[in-house]
Amino acid sequence: MSSRFWTQGGSDSEEEESDYEDEVETGGAEAANETAGSRYLKGMASDSDDSDGQKRVVRSAKDKRFEEMIATVDQMKNAMKINDWVSLQESFDKINKQLEKVMRVTESVKVPSLYIKALVMLEDFLNQALSNKEAKKKMSSSNAKALNSMKQKLKKNNKQYEDLINKCRENPESEEEKDEDEETEEDEDEESEFEEDIVEGSDADEEEEEEGEEEADDVNDKGWEKKLSKKDKLIDKQFKNPGEITWETVNKKFKEVVAARGRKGTGRFEQVEQLTFLTKVAKTPAQKLEILFSVISAQFDVNPGLSGHMPINVWKKCVQNMLIVLDILTQYHNIAVNDIIEPDENETQKPADYNGTIRVWGNLVAFVEKIDTEFFKSLQSIDPHTREYVERLRDEPMLSVLAQDVQDYLERVGEFKAAAKVALRRVELIYYKPQEVYDAMRKLVDQVGDGDEKAGEEESRGPSAFIVVPEVVPRKPTFPENSRTMMDMLVSLIYKYGDERTKARAMLCDIYHHALLDEFSIARDLLLMSHLQDNVQQMDVLSQILFNRAMAQLGLCAFRVGLVAEGHSCLSELYSGGRVKELLAQGVSQSRYHEKTPEQERLERRRQMPYHMHINLELLEAVHLICAMLLEAPNMAANVHDAKHKVISKTFRRLLEVSERQTFPAPPENVRDHVMAATRALMKGDFQNAFDVINSLDVWKLLRNRESVLEMLKANIKEEALRTYLFTYTSSYESLSLDQLTKMFDLSEAQIHSIVSKMMINEELHASWDQPTRCIVFHEIEHSRLQALAFQLTEKLSVLAESNERAIEARIGGGGLDLPLRRRDNQDFAMTGAAAGKWQDNLSYTQGRQVNIRLGYAGSGRTVVLGQSGGYSRNRSGQSRGASGYSGGYRNSAARGSQMDSSARMVSLNKGVPV
Amino acid sequence: MASYDLTQRIAPNLDRHLVFPILEFLQERQLYSDEQILKSKIELLNKTNMVDYAMDIHKSLYHTDDVPQDMVERRAEVVARLKALEEAAAPLVSFLQNPSAVQELRPDKHYNLQMLNDRYQIGPNQIEALYQYAKFQFECGNYSAAADYLYQYRALCTNSERRLSALWGKLAAEILMQNWDIAHEELNQLKEKVDDSKNFLSPLSQMQSRIWLMHWNLFIFFNHDNGRMQIIDLFNQDKYLNAIQTNAPHLLRYLATAFIVNKRRRPQFKDFIKVIQQEQYSYKDPITEFLACVYVNYDFDGAQKKMRECEEVILNDPFLGKRLEEGNFSTVPLRDEFLENARLCIFETYCRIHQRIDMGRVLAEKLNLNYEEAERWIVNLIRSSKLDAKIDTKTGTVIIEPSHPNVYEQLIDHTKALSGRTYKLVSQLMEHVQTQAAR
Repeated sequence: MSSRFWTQGGSDSEEEESDYEDEVETGGAEAANETAGSRYLKGMASDSDDSDGQKRVVRSAKDKRFEEMIATVDQMKNAMKINDWVSLQESFDKINKQLEKVMRVTESVKVPSLYIKALVMLEDFLNQALSNKEAKKKMSSSNAKALNSMKQKLKKNNKQYEDLINKCRENPESEEEKDEDEETEEDEDEESEFEEDIVEGSDADEEEEEEGEEEADDVNDKGWEKKLSKKDKLIDKQFKNPGEITWETVNKKFKEVVAARGRKGTGRFEQVEQLTFLTKVAKTPAQKLEILFSVISAQFDVNPGLSGHMPINVWKKCVQNMLIVLDILTQYHNIAVNDIIEPDENETQKPADYNGTIRVWGNLVAFVEKIDTEFFKSLQSIDPHTREYVERLRDEPMLSVLAQDVQDYLERVGEFKAAAKVALRRVELIYYKPQEVYDAMRKLVDQVGDGDEKAGEEESRGPSAFIVVPEVVPRKPTFPENSRTMMDMLVSLIYKYGDERTKARAMLCDIYHHALLDEFSIARDLLLMSHLQDNVQQMDVLSQILFNRAMAQLGLCAFRVGLVAEGHSCLSELYSGGRVKELLAQGVSQSRYHEKTPEQERLERRRQMPYHMHINLELLEAVHLICAMLLEAPNMAANVHDAKHKVISKTFRRLLEVSERQTFPAPPENVRDHVMAATRALMKGDFQNAFDVINSLDVWKLLRNRESVLEMLKANIKEEALRTYLFTYTSSYESLSLDQLTKMFDLSEAQIHSIVSKMMINEELHASWDQPTRCIVFHEIEHSRLQALAFQLTEKLSVLAESNERAIEARIGGGGLDLPLRRRDNQDFAMTGAAAGKWQDNLSYTQGRQVNIRLGYAGSGRTVVLGQSGGYSRNRSGQSRGASGYSGGYRNSAARGSQMDSSARMVSLNKGVPV
Repeated sequence: MASYDLTQRIAPNLDRHLVFPILEFLQERQLYSDEQILKSKIELLNKTNMVDYAMDIHKSLYHTDDVPQDMVERRAEVVARLKALEEAAAPLVSFLQNPSAVQELRPDKHYNLQMLNDRYQIGPNQIEALYQYAKFQFECGNYSAAADYLYQYRALCTNSERRLSALWGKLAAEILMQNWDIAHEELNQLKEKVDDSKNFLSPLSQMQSRIWLMHWNLFIFFNHDNGRMQIIDLFNQDKYLNAIQTNAPHLLRYLATAFIVNKRRRPQFKDFIKVIQQEQYSYKDPITEFLACVYVNYDFDGAQKKMRECEEVILNDPFLGKRLEEGNFSTVPLRDEFLENARLCIFETYCRIHQRIDMGRVLAEKLNLNYEEAERWIVNLIRSSKLDAKIDTKTGTVIIEPSHPNVYEQLIDHTKALSGRTYKLVSQLMEHVQTQAAR
């Protein structure tokens, strides 16, 4: 330290320098002394390595404060050198603040000598500066101002420490010595107690090993005790002599500490520490249990706000405490934990061998849930790209072992409802893990197992001062070979005993997990049979998010197994609002149209999914758009004339419109561009190009069975390309030979035959096979001019009749007329899903039929039809507002028309520019 | 062919006694070794009271005359218990066997109970004994007695749960006695009970009952004259179809067969195809695959192959492969019917998407017929105006007229509703005006 100073302070005046040197040296000595002390302590505890870790943690906090202080003193010195009073003033404020901290950390009343020395130095410098009138004049105004205020502040401040300062001035050395004395004194103190404890230990007739444990404990205790404030120390004096400790004293103290909870001025950490100490001196298992519960509650209190999370080391200790609680509960069967009955005052006085149940107030499930929530929260707030996040994830086995043990205990006690709740937490820990991740976690548990064992012991050994609890509950989670078996086990328990919400959530997790394993049909059946879609709107937001996640995963699963239409219907709703991120709770999406209040934003942030649980959005988007493409490309080709009529995916159409508006297509960059490029190729029937573009997406590497998925995709693209081609170009052909098609689309004859036959049967394609020549013969169904006009006429007639009806309805009011409403089968997944078992069929079949009808009067007064359909749907949504709805519909369509116009104009403008 | 055997999936849903006919059939078809079947028979019988029968089988299985000790003991036990039950139920049985006494019974149940109690000292205990006795008789294989007693019991019993099981017992007994008409009546009664959700605690148990009912009905449907229509009526109801889809997809085979054989169920047929498509992952056999080939994939060669497999399946299915003995012949009527209809299915679909078909090579091959037969078959179809086509003998092809929707018909369709709507409009207007005037 001094050497550093030397290099810095070389330029200043000699005398000052020497002065400083002295001071710094003493400071350094101080620090050295400190560490020496701690080493000494360590030496004491040498029998067990355990205390090491704890000790160091405590020390480092203290050291850190001191270091900070030293740094500030350094700053002050620097400021003095350049005569910068402004920064000097700042540093002074800072050091005062740090002083408070140091005092708190060291728990002593004595002001550190370092501080005093800084004051002395400051005073000297101030006097010197004041005496130097000339220099004072030269100062800038702000500097002078600072000097003056500094003068006053210092005066005021130094009054408090007058004696100390004087003493310091007299001889800086004695101060230090005294310090050392104190230190040794305390050490002696410790030693004596330490001996006592050993006596006590042998009295208790404990084994050698445990003695060692005790010693370690005791040292810990001392270290801890030293930090207590004076008052606490006084009270703790009662416990100095272990022989004198009775149940009553412990109970009294316990009540006292608990009563202080939540009061102003009660340090949260301190409370935890006090209570931890009490657990060690507890007289009966029941009392220990009771106190442990309070410790855990107090540990929960450590983190005040809703937004932050519990410090990780506190969390870990909390988990260990829970495990000890379980140890006690399994060891002493007569203790029952309950949060319904208020136990009597002296319930915990009953000894371990008390005949009958001892009731202790507490709720294990709530604790486990809270711990789980804290774990979740910590993952939410830690930056996922740091090492810390990974470290944190490694703590998961700890949580799962706790949950497992609690669940086992609850099942043993017969509280299946509670067990189901805990089981749900466990389900939520594993449901999103594919088999690979699950295996990795199992391996981690095996690896960490040994190391963890030690760590676990070290923590749990601590408190066994009076009540020694052997580790009964396993400290290592056991995982079945297969994640599915584990899910099945947990989920069946939940279905049996859980309440509605628990069951619903478990079901969603189950669906998610099945979908993850590519078991689409099982997942779908679960979803449809549970009727979750019907009442998901009434569930809480978190469950809705889970539902969305399950749907997204289901969509991905459907795609992987090659069910394009199903995949699309699962995903389309997610993408319809453009708020995918928000719906999946994977980030906040900014909406341009309405600002969110800070409150809303905070809420939203609180329900974010941790990063490792995310569903890859890029993959999801790719899957959604590809599904939409495969469905839309032939659909658009089939209905060129009234393109607006039947839209499968609005999102896709919009994107396509945007990309078509571009003057010339750039090479694709993101997922969207790729799919659009593929669509353009597909519309021409160029399947190879379409596939190549899609194949070049790099999201595919996220898929496990990449090869087979791409294979499936290729087959699908070929098929849709064929269909699109046929729709688009039939009008140019009289007949098409099968051989030619097989060559064009690289499909087998049987496949082409099957695809084309299907189109014929569904009457999408007006053609038939000519078997001897192996050709498709197209039938012309072109209407003659007269016929077309006749169709137009009837169309107009029906419009007329309809508007008459509406006019009358508006006059008379009330919908007495039953208008022939054309039912439009909705494609909402959620809606059709309700009619269990028939969901996707609704889609494909009605589509076929509708196409048919539409083809009849394609080309005749298109806009009219459009306006009508708008009116229809309006009307259906509310009969009573018939008239207004109708006009609304018209206005709408008119607006749409104008929009289209303007967009058309924009296109032409754009076109004009490059030319 | 044993892979398509459904016995393992069907048996758990049947009564022990009902499994016997199936095992008999399997024995006859020799799908499994005799030893296997005899062993499973003994296993079945162990839980019943038909000890004598079990003994016989044991003897034939191991070719000995010795009988294991436990069977002998069990026999003694059964006889003793039979005696005891007979005594307990004796008062009521003797009452019921007395025609003049039975005449005193009236439709009013309470009256009857009262009367029995007062005049014959027959209380609830005796009535309960009758039930036990009937059950025991059934277990012993004395079905006709069991059926009689259960019938009587139902008239006297007040416990609805007991009544339900009595109903099941009666149905089983009638099936085993092959009284198909009576069994069919019982079935309808039972169906009403099963559909009444009041009788069940949970939807799950109700569904289970439905599945049982459907399985038991297989006996009736494929033996009763009108059964094949009824199987569609029953199985294709939403509730029952759901039950099939959830827990017993193998029943789809019977429904599919019934649909193929019954041509006149078009609208339901379309829905059914969708169900088959949907359940492909959970169940498929040649019959459902055949339907998928013809109506989903339009793979006619595949359908051809499946048809041949279907034949095997039908012959080996205890319900579908029922034989009729006519003199020296034994025919399987359902097989012939199935094949005929299946062929028709294929051809029909085939014609819908073709305008010209080579009769000699393709069609005859597809229909499993030679040229002459094929021609005759088609001519018959054309004559019965099932097919709008002509045969061109010069080229040896069938030419099918493409059917277009008639433009005039379409126009008429469009405008048909207009006049009606206008009339309605006017009448409504008039009404409105009148009410206005009245005010």
